[in-house]
Amino acid sequence: MKKITKLPEPTAEELAGPKYWRSLDEVAETPGFRSFLDREFPEGASILETVDRRHFLKIMAASFAFAGLGMTGCRRPEKYILPYNQQPEHIVHGKPAYFASSMPLRGYGIPVLAETHANRPTKIEGNPSFAPNNGKTDLPTQASILNLYDPDRATRSLLDGREASRSAVRDLLDELSRKYRDAEGRGLAILADQSRSPSRQRLRKALAERFPEAVWCEYEPLDYTRPEKLLSRLLGQSAKPLYDFSKAARVLSLDADFLGNDPNRIAHSRAFAQARRVTAPGDEMNRLYCIESAMTLTGGMADHRKRLATSATEAYAFAFAAGVLRRTNGDSRLQARLEAAIADSALDQEWIDGCVEDLVENGSRSLIVAGDHLSEAAQAAVFAANSALGAVGETISFVATEEHSAASIHELMDQVENGEVETLFVLNGNPAYNLPADYSWKNIEEKVGEVIRYGYYYDETSEGARAHIAATHYLESWGDTRAPDGTILPVQPMIQPLFQGYNELEVLARLVGMEKREPYDLVFETVTSLRDGLDKNKVFRVFLHDGLLENSAYQPVERSLSTGAVSDLLPTKAAGTEGFSRRNLEVRYLADNSIDDGRFNNNGWLQECPDPITRLTWENAILISPTLARELDLEAPDPTLAIVRKNPNEIKTGIQRSPILELRIGEKTVRGPVHIQPGLATYTVVVHHGYGRTKTGRIGEGSGFNSNKVRYSDEPDFARGATLHFTGETRNMANVQNHWSMEGRAIIRESNKEYFEKKPDAFQSVGMESHTPLVLRHDHDMPLHERATQTPRGTSMHPHPELTGRHQWGMAVDLSTCTGCNACVVACQSENNIPIVGRDQVIRGREMSWIRIDRYYASGVEDNNEVADDVQVSMQPVMCQHCENAPCEPVCPVNATVHDEEGLNVMAYNRCIGTRYCANNCPYKVRRFNFFDWNERQLDQLYLGPLGEKGMNELHKMQKNPEVSVRMRGVMEKCTYCTQRIESAKINQKVLARDSDNVKIPDGTFQVACQQACPTESIMFGDISDPESEVSKWKRREQDYLLLGYLNVRPRTSYLGRLRNPNPNMPDADSLPLSRKEYYMKNYPESYTSRAEN
Amino acid sequence: MSSAFPKWTNALPIKIGIILLVLFATTVVGITYYFTPKYTRVGYAPTQPVPFSHELHAGQLGIDCRFCHTHVEQSGHSNVPDTETCMSCHNAVATDSPKLELVRQSYESGEPIPWVRVHALPDYVYFNHAVHVNRGISCYECHGQINQMEVVTHDQPMSMAWCLDCHRKPEEYLRPLDEVFNMDWRPESRQAQLEMGLEFKEEWDVNPPLSCSGCHR
Repeated sequence: MKKITKLPEPTAEELAGPKYWRSLDEVAETPGFRSFLDREFPEGASILETVDRRHFLKIMAASFAFAGLGMTGCRRPEKYILPYNQQPEHIVHGKPAYFASSMPLRGYGIPVLAETHANRPTKIEGNPSFAPNNGKTDLPTQASILNLYDPDRATRSLLDGREASRSAVRDLLDELSRKYRDAEGRGLAILADQSRSPSRQRLRKALAERFPEAVWCEYEPLDYTRPEKLLSRLLGQSAKPLYDFSKAARVLSLDADFLGNDPNRIAHSRAFAQARRVTAPGDEMNRLYCIESAMTLTGGMADHRKRLATSATEAYAFAFAAGVLRRTNGDSRLQARLEAAIADSALDQEWIDGCVEDLVENGSRSLIVAGDHLSEAAQAAVFAANSALGAVGETISFVATEEHSAASIHELMDQVENGEVETLFVLNGNPAYNLPADYSWKNIEEKVGEVIRYGYYYDETSEGARAHIAATHYLESWGDTRAPDGTILPVQPMIQPLFQGYNELEVLARLVGMEKREPYDLVFETVTSLRDGLDKNKVFRVFLHDGLLENSAYQPVERSLSTGAVSDLLPTKAAGTEGFSRRNLEVRYLADNSIDDGRFNNNGWLQECPDPITRLTWENAILISPTLARELDLEAPDPTLAIVRKNPNEIKTGIQRSPILELRIGEKTVRGPVHIQPGLATYTVVVHHGYGRTKTGRIGEGSGFNSNKVRYSDEPDFARGATLHFTGETRNMANVQNHWSMEGRAIIRESNKEYFEKKPDAFQSVGMESHTPLVLRHDHDMPLHERATQTPRGTSMHPHPELTGRHQWGMAVDLSTCTGCNACVVACQSENNIPIVGRDQVIRGREMSWIRIDRYYASGVEDNNEVADDVQVSMQPVMCQHCENAPCEPVCPVNATVHDEEGLNVMAYNRCIGTRYCANNCPYKVRRFNFFDWNERQLDQLYLGPLGEKGMNELHKMQKNPEVSVRMRGVMEKCTYCTQRIESAKINQKVLARDSDNVKIPDGTFQVACQQACPTESIMFGDISDPESEVSKWKRREQDYLLLGYLNVRPRTSYLGRLRNPNPNMPDADSLPLSRKEYYMKNYPESYTSRAEN
Repeated sequence: MSSAFPKWTNALPIKIGIILLVLFATTVVGITYYFTPKYTRVGYAPTQPVPFSHELHAGQLGIDCRFCHTHVEQSGHSNVPDTETCMSCHNAVATDSPKLELVRQSYESGEPIPWVRVHALPDYVYFNHAVHVNRGISCYECHGQINQMEVVTHDQPMSMAWCLDCHRKPEEYLRPLDEVFNMDWRPESRQAQLEMGLEFKEEWDVNPPLSCSGCHR
């Protein structure tokens, strides 16, 4: 008889206190949330709304009529093959070609390889020739391909409201050039975005020579160049700090989101993960201390995290610097000045001392990073502290950058105010949208004679401009950029400009009035002039081939930091936290994790990519701390705020319904929905940039609110004196976080480093399977490669496919290093032709993304009914786990989802009839259903059925990966382990093998899309039947565990449990991660204490 | 009492039954015959814009397949040659043949020649030429005796069952690699083919995919 293993029933108390809570709803255990848990898709996901019966019949009648018309065309359609007229060299039809290029983003370039099919770029990968990034990319880079094929981009230039031909634009530029040559540039002002393109800088120099009186101003709403400006002053030469996290054993971040919003985040993430990865007990692991006001990706990775208002961070910076100087016997004068400045500040001295001691102990292997937005004094103090630690030259280097100066936005505005500017030339950027609120763009437009705009979108700035010159995408242009480490990178076109666009360099060269204006020639000249005496053509060819100019990185400066210079910057008293309350709030402005400062606002992939922390899509929110929420709740005349979590009636369908609040700073106000976010400094309100655009494309229209409306030029990154006011309105939020919750079992397994050393099996001893040995343990001691193929079922009675394939594919995900940055999510979307569904459909729980990154909070208390302020964040990417005993397979009535012999759980779209039984039976909730024909229908016309427009936009067609089927309505889809990449690797190997039996793919030949994009290298994929493959090695690590392993579904994807590395000498140190504490508290309430201690 | 139904109606149900049965059988047989690729696709020979004869070029002149279909060994697609390939010979040979008018026009104007597609697989099928021709499957197996075709004709049904016939028993079709592009090569006997095929299958580790992921992505 079959032995039934009885799982212990949870008791009532256990149900009352969830171990993990993923959303505030879950804490509140509302009926809405309960129904979420019970249902496969959220309520409403499978209901046809807004169409009543009568309407339905009407639509159906129309569709039958159309069907009748269609019957006439039953004959085989004649298709044509149009070969090249003259076959270009090196193009093999059907094989992708890769070209090195780089994506310019806020001054720096990100080295990329563009995959092109028949000269049509379809996918962006990182360029592995650039060592710091090792071929990794980030979220916007992955998504940038969609901007190229955006039907809403500016497709033509406009002059005085009329379409301007190519020659009209040229004439306009020539005319400007002539006009200002005589005036030596007086009256001409250029407002540009930041760029370190050597060619653009060369043109800028030429411009300064020809038009000495012209103003060149650079403005970015998020300015990451402040440390560079400061360091240049301190050292007396142009220099910037460059961090090497791979050497840093101890890192202290002072409000610096170096893994999230930082120009060098790819290299940072990679290096940080290198220093964090533990392959076996005894390995070294870095430790991250983090002080921050917002909840960022960096904060999520922290081992010790302190919530602190940004305004108060300065005092902490001084305290850390003073502490380091004292313990290292550094400059006592500086130390005394620092100590004097913080004499009156209220500081958590114990926390500071614990941290400083640890930093000093590790000396040159420590690193302190200060946020770019902190005061100059704070940043200088941190530089001094790093010098005292001996970190300069090790974990931080001061590298010499090129001379660069530009007028600030204040200087330009003064000139505009004085009527000195006649022509304002706006080069990229979008000042009308993102200038601080105290500058009125309308006013500026009136003050200056004319505004000429060069930009990629016809946006707010273009609206009032006399001329809009359409820009080309970086995949359509010649150019150059610099990587954050200074390496010069090429920008080379993959495709002829799709529309009538102009290259930035061409426009500038024409404005300057240069003879040579071809962008290619300009770049050629710039790059080859840097390598004198060599064959120019060869230098340039190598430059384009490698995607970088060898040895062009910034070199370390020889001068060292003088403590005197730092001392001179210090104020007599550090800014403090005094006076913050709910009537005097601090506001912190951040770039959105997806759409940045609004430049990617019209990118559907990014709009729909959930924020890694809040899990909101398609909009931003006013983030407030739980404590502040409680305080406001008491204050509110109408307790509307409470419905976010307390009033169960309001969340019947599990939709987050947020009250709309008004954020007031001075006289400026903005309205937005509120979202309660654990981990924020109590009186800090966080708003993200990028939303609330008034003139943008169809995707970005109407999403979120504009944070720039309450931002002043003197406090561009954080401000004080804000208040929140109730408006009485509410709004449904497209939050994906409630969906597919896993009822808080041992989903993410965590351990502390120290505990792990003592108990390496700590990851196996939690969770249900540790109690169910019969099912799972009988072949436990077999090597993985044998277990996978020989006893794949365990003791399961279910039939099982024969896993006879040459390879057996498997994946491992390292949760210790995953920051949750979402690069994999969009990489997958881009590779696998995954559509977007729109805000309305996300609210209904129909998002299509094959990877989701679950974010869990743990607060380490038994009673989770109160929302905690201090939480530990855990991230877990979940995609199809490719179970060997896949529960989706036996329930499919048409065999549309079956196993192949290499262990893949495959989907045959053409067999699928859309019963959705498989999704119902999937314990991981990773299957996605095409409720509509997302690809063929307009997102705002989904419910019109056959009456709506049909057909994919020609531009979107160009982006699709030809190696992957585009799915239609009514079929199920899910992660395929990039089966197209596997197949093409197998085919390539067989082609190489010819008449030999060398058909096994060597390990590491190819990468799956998420793995290739992951900047922390946390995803490993390969053949588990080969015990020497990298993925087999990963899976042999002690941390390896299976998600819901007790179900005996035998997933091929396993997770490496997360290790945290707290310092036992810190006041907030816990012997166990909070999530694990909660696990014990809930499962073993009686013996909790003894378990936690052992 | 007169009966409500005359006597002849007694046999009616049986007659109707038989007619329905025959109708059903005819429909089934009809659909299986007329609506499957064996009928709908085999024999399809559309008129091409240029009356190019494989019989002349590949047959009589003995030009290798790969002279024109250059990428067949590297790529999933077997490319149709560009106009320049045609003109590389035809600027010297048959320079004023009226049949080549379109080719010359195309060469001058840069407009591609609109060849009519003969073999079309559905979009969700990812067939790969390179892996087949590099592993001992001849062009002949799918395209037939193409060196004898005046006009290219769809020779095999190219249905999924037909693909799987070979994927299940590759030994029946494997041939020495140097004979892959030889349309006239035939095994001595079926027995000889099987022996050789099995040997190749063993030696080259031929194990064609039988699951969905092999061809559908």
